[in-house]
Amino acid sequence: MSSSMSLRGLSQLSLDAVSRSAIPTRSLMIAPQASCFSTSAARYANPTMKKKGMGAAPKKGVKSLRITKSNKDAAGSGKRPAPGERKAMRKRIVLSNDNALEVAGLQDLTAENALDASHQGKVRGIPEEAVDALRAVEAFKPRQGWSLFRRPAVLMRKETMELAQIMKKIESSEKSKKESKRIIVYGERMGGKSTLLLQGITMAFLRKWTIINLPEGQDIVNAHTDYAPLPGSQPLQYTQDTYTAGLLSQIVKANQGFLAATKVSAKHDLPLPLSKGATLKQLAELGAANPEAAWPVFVALWTELTQPGRPPILVGVDGLSHIMRESEYLNSNVKPIHAHDLTIVRHFVDLFSGKTALPNGGLVLGVTSGSNSPANSAIELSIAGAEARQSKSALPQWNPYKAIDQRAVECLKNVDVLKVSGISKEEARSIMDYYAESGVLRAQVNEGFVSERWSLAGMGNIGELERATVRLRV
Amino acid sequence: MARGELSRGLWRAFDSLGALSRPQCQSPLRTSTPRRIQPSTTARCITTSTPRAVEPTSDKPEVLEKFTAAPEIEIELELELEDRPARKTGRSDADKKFRNDKSKLAKLRVVPASPSYFSAKPTFTDDVINLLALLRKVATLPTVTPAEAPKVAWKTIDQYRIMTNEPVKTQRFHKMLHLLRRLNCVHPSLMPQEVLDAMKRYKKDSQPGDIVPSPGVIDELGRAKGVGRRKTSSATAYVIEGEGEVLVNGKSLTEFFGRLHDRESAVWALKATQRLDKYNVFALVNGGGVTGQAEAITLAVAKALLVHEPALKPALRRAGCVTRDPRKVERKKPGHIKARKMPTWVKR
Repeated sequence: MSSSMSLRGLSQLSLDAVSRSAIPTRSLMIAPQASCFSTSAARYANPTMKKKGMGAAPKKGVKSLRITKSNKDAAGSGKRPAPGERKAMRKRIVLSNDNALEVAGLQDLTAENALDASHQGKVRGIPEEAVDALRAVEAFKPRQGWSLFRRPAVLMRKETMELAQIMKKIESSEKSKKESKRIIVYGERMGGKSTLLLQGITMAFLRKWTIINLPEGQDIVNAHTDYAPLPGSQPLQYTQDTYTAGLLSQIVKANQGFLAATKVSAKHDLPLPLSKGATLKQLAELGAANPEAAWPVFVALWTELTQPGRPPILVGVDGLSHIMRESEYLNSNVKPIHAHDLTIVRHFVDLFSGKTALPNGGLVLGVTSGSNSPANSAIELSIAGAEARQSKSALPQWNPYKAIDQRAVECLKNVDVLKVSGISKEEARSIMDYYAESGVLRAQVNEGFVSERWSLAGMGNIGELERATVRLRV
Repeated sequence: MARGELSRGLWRAFDSLGALSRPQCQSPLRTSTPRRIQPSTTARCITTSTPRAVEPTSDKPEVLEKFTAAPEIEIELELELEDRPARKTGRSDADKKFRNDKSKLAKLRVVPASPSYFSAKPTFTDDVINLLALLRKVATLPTVTPAEAPKVAWKTIDQYRIMTNEPVKTQRFHKMLHLLRRLNCVHPSLMPQEVLDAMKRYKKDSQPGDIVPSPGVIDELGRAKGVGRRKTSSATAYVIEGEGEVLVNGKSLTEFFGRLHDRESAVWALKATQRLDKYNVFALVNGGGVTGQAEAITLAVAKALLVHEPALKPALRRAGCVTRDPRKVERKKPGHIKARKMPTWVKR
């Protein structure tokens, strides 16, 4: 019965093969291509036909061996992330947590009180506009605990107040002879070095300084962006157009107010036409939009920023040890290019070594990293030297058996250092009160608890303190 | 050859008899022994009180229960010790005297020193009887509970067997130990000296608490030192009064220990006693892995803390910081892949 049915069905299928497009392709395979004896019976037969492969699985199971998995299984049940999605997830910065409680008495830093010494040991909120600027210059790092709290706030620790004092001094220096400072920030891993840079940028933003931040030294030298030799440079230097364009757009976002309000004053030799009376913002945007012109635009912008009467400049770089060594880029002889031969790095290094002055005053901060830093004996030596100078003790001898980068040593000869060590117990108390008020720390904050956590966090290492109190709740 | 051996053995026996310098029958037999005895004679002077050479000879007489033995026999013996030269000169005279002695000796009734001489384990029986007598004597004295009695390490049965040279049964020995324990329970302030002396015989040479470690000292800089070990790690910790700063091999706790758990282990002695903010610690640690090092520091810090505050010992013991963890890596055995792991079983 069934065989005759299927035969009839098959004959019908083969006959009007043109008209059936909705039939599954599998049945196409078994359809005989030969013509039937008769067509009439098939024509009038019931067209509803039992489709093959739609029935139940064989009762005794499938005995044939299936070695290969179907592609569907191999892909897994879930949806695979799109290219770049994983990295975006990894680098995502979340700055608020709706589940955290609003801290009642949290004061914000303002333009007036940003550099006040009265903040010492208090937790202060970062105002909204400063948060935008900080986000633009990538001052927030993915591994920091911003996502635990309602909104970004920072502890104004002793080192922050030292930095504020330095900035105050720079601001109050005479107009004709503006002061500038060059500082290496170093210290323990998770000790708050990058956060100190962030605090510096915040204060600079509130005090209307110009901010230029190189968020990660490794990104400049790891050969992930394009590079090209700079024509006419001796010795040969290399520009990184895409990176420079990105940097220009960051500068625009972070210094919107000042750049939009200031007109280009000098005549610049640019590869692209710039309308007369353009603002600095337009100049920078020109470079950001046209990577091939990015470097000349950056140079022009820098010239503009260092014109007399312009605000002081804060230049920051995180991950200093990466840019004090050979980069991953190769020259035409397939030799590694020294990081100092990259124009952006060279620009920063000249500022850092004091070769290029900051006529309007400013602060150059080089922040070392505790977790992502290749061994760099030049930095170690310069830190030891600066410490000896500050404590008026004998200068350290350098180990002749250690490979040392001479260019880096030259560059770091006369820089100051700022050590970021553990916070004091009072500061720990203050930040733990903030944790408790945010609702992320449920324990009662008393002296015993504070000092216990302070000890366990390696004498007040703030990152470890956060880890031990907020993240690793037992 | 066999004959030769026999004769040699006889000679040796004869010599040994002749070489006897001290009188062998002591207390019950107050007569002097004849010096020369023919080896062929059957009446041999055999000692009845066994010389306890294995026992430690004490100058004090042992406490023996009173018993009544047969009265001493008065024998007139002409042979005196002073007559020795005469005996040597006149052989026939000596022989006559000796024969005379022999007839008298035959009348002697030799009495054993101990009434339990004819039991299988005379020393042990004596010991038990003595202890029972002692217990009867002190039974009315007030006692303390066994837990409160002074801790004594009694001799093991093997040690006792070696001491007495008698095949003492375990059960009997344990019964004797019960007596000893009961005696030990007499209130220490009223413990009679004779009981203490009697118990000395059954104690091990070294008693628990005999070896007292020299007490730790706080040096002129205020440091107390402690040493701790765990697995293959060993740590030295110096504890000073301070604010809770900890350095391990010159690094901070967070730099040295990545895991929070290890950090807590390292300062657990201080944390468990709420002393973390009262002391500074600097520790030197080497060997082993991270966890072993952390737990070695625990022990070292606890010991150093005990120098500062000895009263914390029970608290630290409760926190598990006093006893060294004796576990170590078990050795690999031949035929095994690891200490216990066997190779996979294969049919053929």
